[in-house]
Amino acid sequence: MIIIGERINGMFKDIKEAVLNKDPEPIKEWAIKQEQAGAHYLDINTGPTVSKDEQPAVMEWLVTTAQSVSKLPVCIDSTNPIAIEAGLKVAKGKSMINSTTAEQAKMDIYMPMAAKYNAAIIGLAMNEKGVPKTADDRAALAMELVVNADMNGIPMTDLFIDPLALPCNVAQEHAPEVMAALRQIKMLASPAPMTTLGLSNVSQRCTNRPLINRTFMVMCMACGLDSAIVDANDDDLIDAAAAANILLNKDIYCDSYLKTFRQR
Amino acid sequence: MGLTGLDIFKQLPKTNCKECGQPTCLAFAMQIAAGKAGLDQCPHVSDAAKEALESASAPPVALVKIGTGDKEIQLGNETVLFRHDKRFEHPTAITISVCDTDDNIAGKVQEINKLVFDRVGMTFSVNMVAVCNCSGDADKFAAAVKTAQENTEYPLALMTEDVAAMEKALEIAGAKKPLIYAATAANYEAMTELAKKYECPLAVKGADLNELAELSEKVTALGWKQLILDSGAREVNKVLADQTQIRRQAINKRFRPFGYPTITFVTNDDPVQAVLDASVYIAKYAAIVVLNTADPADILPLITLRLNIYTDPQKPIAVEAKLYEVGEPGPDAPVFITTNFSLTYFCVAGDVEAARIPAYILPVDTDGTSVLTAWAAGKLTPESIYELMQKTGIEEKVNHKKLILPGGVAVLSGKLNEISGWEVLVGPRESAGIPSFLKQRWS
Repeated sequence: MIIIGERINGMFKDIKEAVLNKDPEPIKEWAIKQEQAGAHYLDINTGPTVSKDEQPAVMEWLVTTAQSVSKLPVCIDSTNPIAIEAGLKVAKGKSMINSTTAEQAKMDIYMPMAAKYNAAIIGLAMNEKGVPKTADDRAALAMELVVNADMNGIPMTDLFIDPLALPCNVAQEHAPEVMAALRQIKMLASPAPMTTLGLSNVSQRCTNRPLINRTFMVMCMACGLDSAIVDANDDDLIDAAAAANILLNKDIYCDSYLKTFRQR
Repeated sequence: MGLTGLDIFKQLPKTNCKECGQPTCLAFAMQIAAGKAGLDQCPHVSDAAKEALESASAPPVALVKIGTGDKEIQLGNETVLFRHDKRFEHPTAITISVCDTDDNIAGKVQEINKLVFDRVGMTFSVNMVAVCNCSGDADKFAAAVKTAQENTEYPLALMTEDVAAMEKALEIAGAKKPLIYAATAANYEAMTELAKKYECPLAVKGADLNELAELSEKVTALGWKQLILDSGAREVNKVLADQTQIRRQAINKRFRPFGYPTITFVTNDDPVQAVLDASVYIAKYAAIVVLNTADPADILPLITLRLNIYTDPQKPIAVEAKLYEVGEPGPDAPVFITTNFSLTYFCVAGDVEAARIPAYILPVDTDGTSVLTAWAAGKLTPESIYELMQKTGIEEKVNHKKLILPGGVAVLSGKLNEISGWEVLVGPRESAGIPSFLKQRWS
């Protein structure tokens, strides 16, 4: 299970202020904290307060600041392709692009970019018509992503398909469809494409969010979820991921499996 | 795993003509992958694409048979790279070669016939005799094949690249479905004709993996698919690399030209090195390993290794439920009760040996489960223990009436004492405690 730490995002107040004041300390602090908690990737998002023109420079600054104290690769999170490319240029290690949709115009921009920088790429199973209702429709869009990745020479192990989780208080019927879609996505190609989820979305404005998050994550892992963008400092969630890895026979059991999971 | 949507899509014409009833070729590919549509619904799909898709749904490594009757060998149908993922299906056929220049072919073949061994209560043997045309003479080869066939029940491998010699040998042995070795780049058309005529499995030999793949495709194009692959490698490191590639490409990439069992040759003159090389081939995917030794001391370790590698890891391995003696136990030797799970039995046997006191061990038949598992499943009971004691006649072997029970199942001691009349000593929980237990409690 690949844990993508969600915390360096301008949506959070401390990060937003750090970006505005050009203060590297909160960025460094969260990079270190997430790495220690067991994250494998650091998601980097400038947040909505940064104007489109400033986004590339801010992205570049965030990536270099985070990687000045952490050896983790980054998951460059933006809707602006110029900002993403600016991040890719300075990033160390195997970066991840977050994200393209299955819209042809977007795939034509991001897929060649992933190939050029040898980056992994997150593909959202949606297009200009929005988020599909059923698992079959999600899988059909996932197939578009698979075919486009293949045409661009991106190995399936670098394509992370996100079947899109919606908040369970207002879009409750989506959760089982997401799980069914995960199973189908794993059958689309051989080797199978990877899967991911913006996990915290499932519990937006719900009671006891951590419980919903980790329960859904474990259920999705059983359906073939390989990674998730999560709160890496939610210890219960990381414990659940470690336990699920054991129960899926992905990691060999040992008594110190919780510690071992965090060290890799 | 069946065909994936991407595999199918790549073979479709990509016209998006909608004649299949689906909006796009991509959607049609998804429907086929889900089993909701058939390829025949697309009017524009090419024959080559049809062939590619059909053969992709066949098993990754074809099943090939050599010989007829009781001694028929089945090879292939393998599905994994590591036995712990599932299991290895068809054990490596151990093959001993004889040369047509040998003065005493009948004698050597009879030596090969004797290579039959008892292992854990079953018999295991070599599987095939290879006759080599070392002389280069067609008549001499045919005579050698005749002698070999008259002296053994095992299937034969006919080894010559000379088509005329092969034809003569097949006139004699063709009806018994020998392995034809081998089709090469130079002779494959004629060899394939012979294989088709006699319906015999055909070995295909390339100078390297590339030539092997080409040759395999050419032979299947001529309509013969009972193939055995030889990459031409003879040094152990190269054979290991080639074997790995052939199995990997066949299973992971569905590369059809490599979707057949393989043959390997042990060429080292040093017998120790030859056995070690053959061990590598048995562990790493060889369907046939050819040796030129008939020395039982060379063959027994290979038979044993083959048995071990090809056991099903999902089934517990059991030892026979009978009376075992450690050392030369006399009438006053201690008697240990355990189960017939091989891991359990060999732990106990090893620790009893370490105690340096001759003893008897009685492993109860618990379908190969451990002491606590068998106890929980009701398979290790006072009744089942007493039954084995009676069956093995332990009462006549010893002059005392004392049993030693595993410490983990101490609760059985009372009832066992009642029904058997023997005094039941509760031993240590771990067999590692047996030596000190014997020192303190047995003398």
